[in-house]
Amino acid sequence: MNEKTDVLQGTLALMILKTLEAMGPQHGYGIARRIEQVSEGALQLNQGTLYPALVKLEQQRWIKTRWGTSDNNRKAKFYSLTPRGARQLAAEESKWSRVASLVGRFLVNPAGDA
Amino acid sequence: MDALRRLWTRWAEWRRPGTVEADLSAELQSHLDFLIDDHLRRGLSPAEARRAAQLDLGGLEQARALTRDARGFRVGDAFVSDVRLAIRHLRRTPGFTAAALAILALGIGANSAIFTVVDAVMLRPLPYTDPGRLVSVWEVMSEGLSAPGAAAQPAPPQRTAVAPANLADYAARVKSLSSMAAYSSLGFNLTGGGAPERVLGEEISANYFQTLGVSPAMGRTFSPDENTAGRDRVVIISHALWQSRFGGTPDVLGKTVRLGEPHEIVGVLPVGFVALSQPGAAEPVSVWVPMAFEPGVLTRRQEHLVQVVARLAPNASVESARAELAAVSDAMAREFPDMGTARGALAPVRADQITDVRTMLYVLLAAVALVLLVACVNVAGLLLVRALSRRREMAVRFALGATRNRMVFEQVVQSLVLATAGGMLGLLLGWATTRFLVAVAPASLPHIQDAGLDARVLVFTLVIVLITGLVFGAWPAMQAAKVDPVDALKDGERSVTSAWVVRRRATLLITEVALSAVLLVGALLMIRSLMALDRVDLGFDHSNVLAASVALSPAYGTPEARLKFFESLDAKLKQIPGVTATAFGNRFPLRGNLISGILLDSDPQYKQAGFQAVNPNYFATFGIPLKRGRALAEGDRNGAASVAVVNEAFGRVLLKGADPIGHVIRRGPAMPSITVVGVVGDVRRTGRTDETGTRAAEIVPQFYLPAAQTTLYPMALREVAVKMTAGAAGVPEAIRAVVLSIDPNQPVTAVRTLDASLAIGAAQKRFQTSLFVLFAFVAFGLAIVGVYGVIAYGVSQRSAEIALRLTLGATKTGIVLDIMRRTAIMVAAGVSAGLAVAFVTSRFVANLLFEIAPTDPVTYAIAAAGLLVAGVAAGGLAGLRATKVNPITALK
Repeated sequence: MNEKTDVLQGTLALMILKTLEAMGPQHGYGIARRIEQVSEGALQLNQGTLYPALVKLEQQRWIKTRWGTSDNNRKAKFYSLTPRGARQLAAEESKWSRVASLVGRFLVNPAGDA
Repeated sequence: MDALRRLWTRWAEWRRPGTVEADLSAELQSHLDFLIDDHLRRGLSPAEARRAAQLDLGGLEQARALTRDARGFRVGDAFVSDVRLAIRHLRRTPGFTAAALAILALGIGANSAIFTVVDAVMLRPLPYTDPGRLVSVWEVMSEGLSAPGAAAQPAPPQRTAVAPANLADYAARVKSLSSMAAYSSLGFNLTGGGAPERVLGEEISANYFQTLGVSPAMGRTFSPDENTAGRDRVVIISHALWQSRFGGTPDVLGKTVRLGEPHEIVGVLPVGFVALSQPGAAEPVSVWVPMAFEPGVLTRRQEHLVQVVARLAPNASVESARAELAAVSDAMAREFPDMGTARGALAPVRADQITDVRTMLYVLLAAVALVLLVACVNVAGLLLVRALSRRREMAVRFALGATRNRMVFEQVVQSLVLATAGGMLGLLLGWATTRFLVAVAPASLPHIQDAGLDARVLVFTLVIVLITGLVFGAWPAMQAAKVDPVDALKDGERSVTSAWVVRRRATLLITEVALSAVLLVGALLMIRSLMALDRVDLGFDHSNVLAASVALSPAYGTPEARLKFFESLDAKLKQIPGVTATAFGNRFPLRGNLISGILLDSDPQYKQAGFQAVNPNYFATFGIPLKRGRALAEGDRNGAASVAVVNEAFGRVLLKGADPIGHVIRRGPAMPSITVVGVVGDVRRTGRTDETGTRAAEIVPQFYLPAAQTTLYPMALREVAVKMTAGAAGVPEAIRAVVLSIDPNQPVTAVRTLDASLAIGAAQKRFQTSLFVLFAFVAFGLAIVGVYGVIAYGVSQRSAEIALRLTLGATKTGIVLDIMRRTAIMVAAGVSAGLAVAFVTSRFVANLLFEIAPTDPVTYAIAAAGLLVAGVAAGGLAGLRATKVNPITALK
């Protein structure tokens, strides 16, 4: 697989995990809406691409699934974070912030002096 | 860990198939419902809401496909869904599917049909016990009869039947053969118990069935004392005859049938038994009678009369038996000088039955495989174009995580589905073709009547289908998988990939043309072979000559009685309207041959020569010219001087060119001296070719005795011939009527014109040539259509470039000529490759050709010219499409 795909999938995975942590158990539609909301429309998500990512996360045992009923009484498949998923999320979050701060240092002071 | 988890999912899916798919479908459906609700809330109509929702979701099918890819399913699970997907895709493009299926059915069907024939003739085990240990035994005379004019090489040994006198000694002395049985085929007129019918039968020694390991279903086989004259009025019948003539009743034993004389039925054979002389016989062999010789035969070692089958002893091999037989023959020749140069030889029965046809069948198999290859290449080209049109879809799936292997697998499954569908159609086509092949097959193909669908044929077809699917499917799939997604997602016809397809198709085209060239060369060689065959001069006039066999019953006990019958028959035959000349004798050219040892003048060495007993008008009837001396006359009868007439080869070969007139011949030291009084023209008695079929038949020394001098020859008169005026009708019936008017119980058989007999001899060559020409024609057609397709496609892909050239001043003619030039280059490349391959492999068909070298340059030139002209014409025709290009629209 090429790099582009990995980055795309990695980012999407992170967003899904964070959403589940923030909102608790959600179905696929709910996750998609939430991601669109948070990005304030900047991310036009092809919602079909959500499901392959969900499958991968489930295979990694970071999320688990259960069929249930939604608020408006529709049957839907609910995803929730597992303890392993929570640990993975924490690790990813710290990695992102380390990368962001390192890059940030270069961008603010390109010459390198105060 | 990941792999284990995937295995677990696959296991769960295998246990309850479809649940994971159904699960996903339900989930996607619920997502869609949410989206629809959303849009409805925003005020869209239900239809609009649904459309908008589907846009948001990005297409259910695609989502499903992407998710499936992400799950990373492997072979078994993906297979069923891929098959369904493939069928769906194929139904959506009926034009492509129909074309591909037709081409595949043609290729696979032809292979299936030819294999069915090969199976029946060469592979199916013979219906005897332990058939691998049965051998045919014959004798070989090592002094050949070729005329000195032939190339300076040792004359090939002549194969001949076994002399019963020798057989007795072989059976006693050769320990490697545990039992030896004699048989000889015979025609009978069967009367009594129903309408008269003609049947084929065998005269056999008592141990014939025992040697073959076959027991009768009812009754018994013959006992050894029934092999003597007078005790041989018994018969064993086949299962089929028992059913058809006796209604399959259990009380058939003891009933009598007349085969000339009355014979008592003592046994019925089991169903499915096939006589050893069946291969090549026109009708089923249905009766067996004991062989009975008059005692003198067992002392004359020069009378080669019987076929022999033997079983290898338990610890012997074919080689050891062969060696022992040769050694015993040599010892016997020293002990019995009148054995002459004959020596025993043997070969396994099956191999012996198929020697003549083995090469032809292999060549046909190879040819039909080439046709299938051409078909595959053709379909591969079609698939490439199709893969191109799906490149965008594939590129998206790549970008979103589908593995390359997954895509290739899906493509391979699609190809296999296509191949299987083509295979089923092909099996149907093959079955019909087999029926046709059986009907037109030459009788020389043993067991061809049994050709039919059996397990071996089905397995073969399955294997062919698999190989075909993988061959034409894998390559386009792998090529498509290498497509660069970035390029593919760009808009426009000018993308890299379409030109790449054109290049690949050009390669395929060159391959197709090359394969077609190979088959074309083969077909042309065979056609020219047949033409050369037709030009061989037989030495006698075979047009408008009708011959018939009149085998007299033993009631005509003496040669004089037989002569009287034939002379009165001859007188009556002359009166039939339309008959201009009549003849009678023992066996006529194209219907039989007899070789005798003779002693010439005072030379004690036996020489071999063919001989016949004929009436004086024989030479006029057959148009054989008199060269010197006098022909046989009415005055040459018993009591007058014993005379003979010989052919020119007699003088050339046996007398070193001296004039034969005046020389004396004897058939044995104690036999009457016969003076040669005339020389007639040479004839080729056995047909146009020798036994190998690759050279013209030898012209052998021949002597003719007057039929009326009955003391001079041992065999019975049995054939008549009449020369007819062209267009004379009703002659066969008239002949029968005349014979019946002399003796109402006398059957007349094998009534055939000489031209018909000739046709039978050429049947095998005609059969193989027709099939080969058919295959070459199909391959040629596919290749030329392929040329058209590729050029047309290339033109359509280059329409912008062509439009540009048109606006810049090029003429339409110029463009078409340019296209034709490019076509010519490709076709020429294919033709060169094909001719090179043909040149190298053609020696394998050398012994199917008659007097034409497999590397004959004229043939190759014709093939090359044919393909070039047709190919360039097809390219030109396709190029005409270029002239329809509207520059303005094309350049958009």
